[in-house]
Parts: sequence; structure tokens; C-alpha cells
Amino acid sequence: MHIAVDVGGTFTDLVVHREDGQPRGYKSLTTPADLTDGVLEGLRLVADDHACGLSELLARTKRFCFGTTTATNAVLEDKAARTVLITTRGFRETLLIREGGRPDSYDMKAVFPKPYIPRSLTFEVTERIAYDGRIIEPLDEGSVSEAIEGSRQAGAEAIAVSLLWSIANADHERRVGEMIEQALPDMPFSLSHRVNPCVREYRRTSATALDASLKPVVIESIRRLEGRLATHGFTGTLSYVTSNGGQTSTREILNKPVYLCFSGPSAAPEAGRRFSDIESIGGGNVITTDMGGTSFDVSIVTGGRIPMHREGTIAGHVFGVPSVEVHTIGAGGGSIARVDSGGLVHVGPESAGASPGPACYGKGGVRPTVTDANLVSGSLGETLTAGGGVTLSRDLARVAIREHVGDPLGMSESEAAALIRVGCEQNMVVAIEDLTVKRGVDPREYIMVAGGSAAGLHAVAIARELGIGTVLVPPMTGVLSAFGILTGNVSFNFGESLFTTSARFDFERVNMLLASLERDAHAYLERMNIDERDQRLLYTCEARYADQVWQLTLTLPDRRVADAAALDTLVEAFHCLHETRYAVRSETDPVEITEWNVQAIGQLQDVDFPELTPDGRVATPIGRRRSFLRELDTHVDVPVLQGERLPLEQEFEGPVFIEDPLTTIVVNPGARVRLSRFGSYIIDLDA
Amino acid sequence: MPAAVPGFSEGRTPSVDHFTMSILLRRFEAIIREMVNALFRSGRSGVLNTAMDFSCSITDARFQSVSVAVGLPVHVGAIELIPQAVADRFGDAVAPGDCFANNSGYHGNTHCADFTLCVPVFFRGRLAFYTIARAHFADMGFPTPTTYGPNSADVYQEGLILPCVRIQTDYRDDPAVIDICRANIRSPDQFYGDYLACLAAVRTGERRIIELCEKYGDDVIEAFADEFQAYAERMAINAIGKLEKGSVTRTMHYDSELEEYPDGIPVTATLTVDPDAAMVEIDLTDNVDNVPLGINLTESTTLACSRISVLNALGPDIPRSAGAFRRINVRMRDGAVIGRPVHPTATSAATTNLCSAFASHVHALFAEYREGMGSAYAGIGLPGSCPVVSGVDPARGGREFVNQILIGHWSGPAVSGADGWVTYGTGSSQGMLWQSSVEIVEQQQPLLVERLALRVDSGGAGEWQGGPGSEVVFRIDQSPVRFTINAAGKQHPPPGVAGGKPAVGTVVLKEDGNHNTVDLGVSVDVTLNPGERLLSYSSGGGGYGAPEKRDPERIRHDLREGWISAAFAQEHYGVAPDEPDDLAGARSDQ
Repeated sequence: MHIAVDVGGTFTDLVVHREDGQPRGYKSLTTPADLTDGVLEGLRLVADDHACGLSELLARTKRFCFGTTTATNAVLEDKAARTVLITTRGFRETLLIREGGRPDSYDMKAVFPKPYIPRSLTFEVTERIAYDGRIIEPLDEGSVSEAIEGSRQAGAEAIAVSLLWSIANADHERRVGEMIEQALPDMPFSLSHRVNPCVREYRRTSATALDASLKPVVIESIRRLEGRLATHGFTGTLSYVTSNGGQTSTREILNKPVYLCFSGPSAAPEAGRRFSDIESIGGGNVITTDMGGTSFDVSIVTGGRIPMHREGTIAGHVFGVPSVEVHTIGAGGGSIARVDSGGLVHVGPESAGASPGPACYGKGGVRPTVTDANLVSGSLGETLTAGGGVTLSRDLARVAIREHVGDPLGMSESEAAALIRVGCEQNMVVAIEDLTVKRGVDPREYIMVAGGSAAGLHAVAIARELGIGTVLVPPMTGVLSAFGILTGNVSFNFGESLFTTSARFDFERVNMLLASLERDAHAYLERMNIDERDQRLLYTCEARYADQVWQLTLTLPDRRVADAAALDTLVEAFHCLHETRYAVRSETDPVEITEWNVQAIGQLQDVDFPELTPDGRVATPIGRRRSFLRELDTHVDVPVLQGERLPLEQEFEGPVFIEDPLTTIVVNPGARVRLSRFGSYIIDLDA
Repeated sequence: MPAAVPGFSEGRTPSVDHFTMSILLRRFEAIIREMVNALFRSGRSGVLNTAMDFSCSITDARFQSVSVAVGLPVHVGAIELIPQAVADRFGDAVAPGDCFANNSGYHGNTHCADFTLCVPVFFRGRLAFYTIARAHFADMGFPTPTTYGPNSADVYQEGLILPCVRIQTDYRDDPAVIDICRANIRSPDQFYGDYLACLAAVRTGERRIIELCEKYGDDVIEAFADEFQAYAERMAINAIGKLEKGSVTRTMHYDSELEEYPDGIPVTATLTVDPDAAMVEIDLTDNVDNVPLGINLTESTTLACSRISVLNALGPDIPRSAGAFRRINVRMRDGAVIGRPVHPTATSAATTNLCSAFASHVHALFAEYREGMGSAYAGIGLPGSCPVVSGVDPARGGREFVNQILIGHWSGPAVSGADGWVTYGTGSSQGMLWQSSVEIVEQQQPLLVERLALRVDSGGAGEWQGGPGSEVVFRIDQSPVRFTINAAGKQHPPPGVAGGKPAVGTVVLKEDGNHNTVDLGVSVDVTLNPGERLLSYSSGGGGYGAPEKRDPERIRHDLREGWISAAFAQEHYGVAPDEPDDLAGARSDQ
């Protein structure tokens, strides 16, 4: 048996992959004080369901994979370790100034953000290395000793070391590390050239500061989980899902906890990929969305591959390690709608949250939310099955919408409700475009996998706006990331910076470096017990035209750059990539490469979804709800069908609402829905 | 049929409902963001690909800015002058596939170094929109390697001028225009790469707008453009309507290197708020005549700074677009230093120097008009840490280079409610410029940055304190580097407002190998040799409100973090500081 856990802010989701091949999902409440409590509570649910005790369940579990917000929350809630930064003399402000810019030029009264490590905890050492690795000023070890002593006196719990150009010559950084080990043997520390070997001191320093500050927290949390699982008889492999969406052992995580940023949501695209595979639609091009009460996450899979990026941020701090790009906006059922003095409706980012919640919850909320709009527009019924049978007040929702949107705009309640839905959906469309259109990716060539409890309410409308032809609401929609964790590969990245240009390509050093990264990657996969036939290595480099400063991640055509012909192939691949992204290519310019990476991937076994039984299925509506349909510009009594009882593979024309225990699906006019034999709802839209 | 937006265009049938408004507003924002991304990621020179010294906009066929442009305030506040120039010069002789290049301050552009491309977007044979990308180029063929000629006597001492010329026909480059540019501009390959980046932006925008017209119908899109202006105008009317009637006149002085202005060049403006007519007027007619320097403002920068500064005071909710601009009347005079220049007046530093002082000045007028509004003065001119550097790079096979560095561009003005935004820069850029990475600076040109640090005690004291300036040291490594700098704010540092104190002024020094220093003044053109250093101390931002009202917790924070000295706290805040707080306290501030 394999178990995957995704510890989220509210719920701890579990997916169990049983010996008979069938996955099953569970939910327990997250316990912020000690996350392992919620995990064990969830495991007890699983054990009960399997009519066995917790110890028996854990004894049968071979693999336990964990996605956790430990790191993300430690940063967001300022609960990471008290961390000191040691840096090159003269550059104490790196974390203060970040990279400049201002998120909102209209807001004159914005407050400048605080640095991740304050200036008073930043110590300078005398040393300097040039861009080409030359030592301009040797390391003054006296200044290092002073910095270490200063750190101790300041009560440091961790130390981040980030020196200028350590990526060109790491001697000084390594020496500072040795001196910390000698002086303070128990002090966790991180060196920038190891954490995130990229050019740009801010990004490297920020990643290193995060990494160091997470070490004490993550060590403690891993130890606690390991201990408690062992107490209950677990002897299998414990792994963690990282920011790159793959799983890895605790050893890698303890060394580089920064890889835990976005652990959990990072597995969502993997889930989207699996479901599109199972249903054999999409051809490996998948946009995965996850919508709950407060946030909307988007990620993409292209050609069966999950693209990585290096610009991930957490609370505004760059963490920089290769990560799945998960774009999150504050949009969900709780997003509040308002009308400004010019007569334009805005939906979010302000949210009613869990308290007071939407007006229809009757808990004191008076401002209209997206959930209120869904209730008034008929998309939701008054009994919220996905919310555990909570009864919603349509009257309260009506009042809120009339007062705050309908009356100011001279619209009826149902029109106003439809307008709020549109406003919310537009925000989501923009979030998806930020990940697709902006990257030269055409969403019309993708399908959409919609996860989360609010997934089905807006997915079809969003897909229509983007020209997406098919929406898939999977059976695991409520525990999407946990499912992605279960099915994700073992994966870790090995990279180093080495600057070269196609004009004077350094074949020897590049190929030596690739060979060395390849050895590290293989050793890692061996350590992870991956069979040789399941091992895969992905070779990439960070490339740009001469004088550009932003690199694109380019997949190497081959494991080595053997000769001039191989180099030509590489350069041509870059021209093509640049043209796809930015509509222009520059044939005559040399291509510069700054960094080389090998991603080690160990493929784990597939999950089979058993087919549903076709017997005893009916398509009789369980009711009708009156709804204003914008497409038809009129009110219609829309039939409501009970989702899990639908006949398999039979199409139903919109408008129709599908009620499922996990979500409600709004199937707009012009779209058709069917329940697949694997349990997914598949909605086809007319192009 | 769903209700139309209320209060709009009486006498005309509204054709855009609320749904379409919500959708198209987002569509246009997305198109502009896509244009920005294309330019940023593919640009070659540091001012583009790191500092983001560019902007992207869309106007309709009547030159109204649609949606909201993304970029520097000084770039986008009067963008209508660019398509206007295309129409003025070419009339109906404009076709799909055309692209126009304009860097002329006498044809609606900001200043010579801002290379602006404008593409007319046709739908079904009719001109419907314009897409515009404006980017600061690293070189425009000035006599000296700079893009700002603060001391240029007239336009003939400035760079190559493209007075709105057709650079593409039928989506193909006009080789003559490109050849002329390449022959006049240093680093022609870098120029061409940056041109391609701008082209990527305007062509991306063109493609997306055509798709949008196909999806929604061009009549709906154009009606939306009108509705959007009406919306922006209503927002402005409502904001102005809440103010009290009043008028304020104020003069400040800008560092002068001219004999006729020994005490500085006066900058004068009158702000009049008329809530009944829902109009704000900025009267600039009292300014002095054009000076024989590059710092004269252009019509474009005068308008942009006035409009954006007014809207900054009115609040963040009002779209910075044509509809809102209708409620702002800018009175200017031909031949005035702040106004419309008379040819051949030089204007190559029209976005930075006097312009930055003027932009802050309008903010300060509001602070005087009503406490709580506006801001203090931000940095004036560009500090020594933002030089244009040039020379020969031995590490790159002796290749010539010219590039603008942008680091330590700080000097945030205090506002009521917040200390200065640290990386604000000036009133022209308002924090929108990004700061270079030290490593990228060293990778791109043969020099060493030895220090990039906060300048202690440099922000103006006040209830809200001005942001600090920076201290930057460049050391020449292996081959000589020429620095051109257009600083200001030395003789007249950024003032405070509403009782706030002025910032400490700008200093630029040269240091030889024996640590002897020479003050280089504010307009600098100097070649430094290996071992020599350039020392830049930028001004801070001005303070807002009386220092006695400052929250003691903030004073303690600044002392602990080393932003101010004990002496500064004593002098301005009358605080006999405790022992610098134990470091344990710092954590609680994180």
C-alpha cells in the first residue's frame, strides 16, 4: 500500500493506493499546532475504512509521501529560525532592495516591504571575487571570525552565507562554511553556491536566507513525523514532495529545505497529467486549476512535461530553485464583490474568509461574495453537499447582492449575480493567461482539469473564454494535489553555473560538468532504489542571446555537446525557443549559457482506475433551478442531475447542473457533459 | 437586455453592457502585460532588460489611451501625442504592416533616448487602434556616449532624431532607416536587438487586438474604448468633487550651472481645484524661458508629469487614461522651460532632471493644499550610481560598449502614512524602474562595484521620514571607463513638505589611487583609469510632516537597523537614544 498526504491550510488530504490498484481519497482537519496530529487522525480514518488498526495499516504501507505547508507557512507566518546573513563587505542591503520596482505605481502610500533578514542581523566579511572567478581581495578570516562571533551573540539559530560571485569561485564561501562548522558545530547554515547557483546576488541570497531559516523548522518537523510514524510501526520509505513536484528522500530535504516551498500544490499538474492520460484526452497538454474558498491555483503541462521555472516567490521573497510554476490568485467562493463610484464591479481580492463568510452562511456577513452569486444565480442549491450538508440562505444572498451590486447598477438580482460570476471568472482567466499566453503557449491547444470544491462552478465558463475545448472534472477533484503526490515521480535537480558562449564554446569544461552532474544524478536515483529501467535524466541549460540578461531554460538535444555540429543543433534549438516565446529570433547573435542542470527522474508505477459499473444508473433530474443565463439573455429552469448516478458515457446537453458529493458542475448552454467509465466528468464545448 | 453602465454618454445608445465591460477591461490589461513581457525578456541593454525603462500602451483610433498603460509615469501620461504624430504626418497614407519610429521631442515624444514604435492596427481594412512601445535605448548617437545631454545647447548637440518615420512597411524593415540608425548609434547590434524587442511588443499587441476584434466584433471593442474613458472620467469627477475649492502657488529651485540663475532655476506651478466643475488645473505659464541645456521639458513630459502627479493625489482607483485626463487642465506656455519647447531647444534630459523636480513639485503642491495629500520631494536627476558608461571591454575581445547602469536609485519621498519607498528613484519613474544586480553590472562592463549601501542620515526627517539615499563605489578594473552622469539635487536637495525636513544632497566624487578626492559637480563626463574610483552619494527623499510627531517606535527601528545615527535622532527628533536596542528586538520587526 502507498499513502500520499497533502497537508493544506484547512484540510489534510490523503490518497491511499491499495494493493488492488484502486486509489481512494480521505480528508481530515489540519492541526496547525502539530501537523502530525492531523496526519495521524487522517490515517485513523483510512485504517477504519480498511477495518484494521493504525499499526496494521502502517505496517502494510511501503511508501509514504508527504506534501507539506511546513516551509511555506513558516515563511508566511514569520516562524522560521532567527537567521543571520553573512555577505561580502559593502553589500549589506541586498535583501532590503531586492530588485527594485513597485507592485502598484498608483498607490503612493504603499509601505516598503521589510527584508527577510534585517540589516541588524547582517554581517559583512572582507573578501572579493570578480565575475571571472579571480580573487580581487582574499578572504580576511579575522572578519569571518568576527561575523561568526557576532552571529552567536545575536542569538542566531541559523546562518546564511552569500558572497558575491561565489558561483564563479566558491572558495571563500566554502571556507566561511568550514569556519562556522568549527566555531559553532551545531549551527545549521547554507551556502549560496550550493542552494541556488544562479547569477544575480539577490536571487541567490534570498534563496539561501530562506533555506537557512527553514533548516531548524524542517529538521524538527521531519524528525517528529518520522518518530511518530515509526512508533506506529511504519518501516517503509518516507519521502517529501518538493517545489519541482517530484518526491525525494528526507536526506535531500534536510540539506536543502528550500525545496519544500510549495510542496503540495506543486503536485497538482502531475494529477492533471494523470487524469488526462487515464481518459486519453488532451494529448499531454493540460491546464490544471484548483479552486477552493479563498484561492485559485493554476499550473500547466505541455506535451506531457511539466515546465519548471526559477522565479518562484514566497511572501515576496524569491526562492529560486527549479520549481513547478503554480500561479495563485486570491479568488474563490469567499471573494467579495463591490461597485466603485464609476460604476464598475470588482470581485476580490478581498475575501469574506471563513468568518463571517459569504452572506448566505448567515454568520453575519453582509457583503456579497462569489458563493452568494452562485446561490442566487441557481448554480448552487441551498443545501451544499460539498460542504457537509450546510444549508445556505438564498434570501440573505439576495439582499447582499441587491444592496451592493444590483441597486447601484440598476440591475436585477439575478443579473447582478451573473455579473459577479463573470468578474470572478475574468480574474481566473487572467491567471491562466499569465501562465500560458504570456509564455507563448496557446490555451486553445489544451484541456482543462478542474480541481477543488468550487471547480465545477466556473470551469466551463473559463474554458469558453479561453477557447479551451474540453474540461475534465476528475473523481479525485477534492484531493487533487494528494493524488498528484501519490502518482508523482521521484525527482531532484543537480545544477552548477558555468558561463560559456557559442562564439567560443568551452566543450571540455561543459562536457566534464555534464558528466559530473550525471554521476550525481545517477547516484541519487540508486540511493532512492529506482530500478535502472525506470531512471530518466533530463538535461537542460539556461541560455540567452549575448547582452540579454534573462535566460530561457533550454532542453539539451543530447547528453553532451560533443562537437561543432552538436553545438549548431543546440543553438538552433535556442533560436526556436526564443521565437516561440518572444516572436523574434536573432540568427547572427552568439548564444550565451550560464548554467547547466540535470534533473534526475525515477518513474514510479502507474495507478489504474477501475471502471465504474454501468448498472442501476438513471438520468432523471432530481430538480430544477431557475437561473439567469447570460448567453441566452434570459431566465431558464435548468435541470439538476445527480452526478454519481449518471449513465456512463452518455452525453447531456447544457444548460444543466450536475450535483456531485464533491462539487457542483455548471454546464453552460452549448456544452455537453458525460460521466466517463473511469469516473471523470468530461465537458465538451463547441469551438 | 442587461442594463448599461449608468451615467454614460447621454444621447447615444450604450452598446456595451456591464458583462462586456468586465471582460474587455481584463482583455486589454492582459494584452498590455503580454507586450511588456515580450519587450522585457528579449531586450538587450540593461535599461530594458533589467531596469524596465520602457512602457507599452494602446490607444484607439482617436488617440485615447485604452485601458491602462504599463510603465513609467513620465512615459505613459501623454501617449496620445505619438499616434497623433502619425496621423498628422501621414494622414490616410497608413496601411497594415506599417510601423513608425519616433524619438523627437518636437513630434510628441518624451526625449531623444526614448525610442518609440507605433503600429496602426487595422481590422477589416479600417484603422481601429494603435499599439505603442516606448523604450529607453542605451545609445542614440549623441556626440558623447550618453543618452542625456544635460548641457546640450540645442538639438544639434543631441542624438539622431527620427521625427516619426516609417520603419516598417508590410511587416518588413525599411533598410534605409535601419542603416541610418546603425550608422549613427554606438553598439549597432545592441540597438538592433533592442529594436526587435520593441517590435515584438507592438506586433504582439497588434495580433492580440485583431483576435479580440474577431471574437467580440470591432464595433463592440470600440464602444468599449469609449465606455472605458467615460468610466475613468466619472471616477475622476467623483474624486475631485470631494475636495474643497482652493488654489496654491509654489516655487522651488533646481540646481543651475548657468550664470543667469546663480540661485537655481525656479520651478513654479499653481494648483487650482474646482470641485464644482470637477476640474483640476495646473498652471505652468509663470515658468522661465527655455534654457540652453538639455533639461527643458517637452510637451509630452510636461503633460505626463502634471496628469500623473494629479491622479496620484486623487487616489489609486482612478485609471490613468484619457477619460481621467479630461478633468485635468494643464496650462503651459510655448518657449518655457516647463512647457512646450521652441525648436531648436535641447530636450534630451527632459525625463530626468528638471522633469523629476517638477513631478515632485506637483505632489508637493497637493501637500500644501491639504495635509495628508501629495508627497514630499523625491530624488532629483539621476545619481552618480546611474551613469552611462562606455569604453572598450578587453574581456570581450576589445568590443566597444555603452550602457546605462541603474543601481542605488533610491531617494523615496515621504507621504502621509508611510516613510519613503526605498527604491523610488524620482518623480518621473516613481519606483517603477528595477535596480540592476551588481553581478549583472560587472558581467556587462569592465568595472567593479565595491559598495552598494544605504547612506545613513540622508532621508529628510519628519513625521514620515524620507527614504535613504545610496552610497555606491565603482572601481575601474583593467581598462578605462568613461562615465557620463546627469545628477542634480546638490545645491537644492529634495525639500520636505508640511513641516518635514529636506534630504541630504547629492555628491559625486572621483578618487585617485591615493585616496585623493575631487568633487565632480552634477553634470559629469569623466574617464577613469584602472585603480581610480567613482564615489556616488545620492540624496535621500524629503520628509513629510513635523518631526516631533514621529512615532518613537519608528525612531527606535531606524536606530537599531542603522538607518539613522544617534546624532540625527537627537538633532531632529530630540531623542536621547537608549543604548541601541539589544539585537533581540530586531526579530519582532521582521
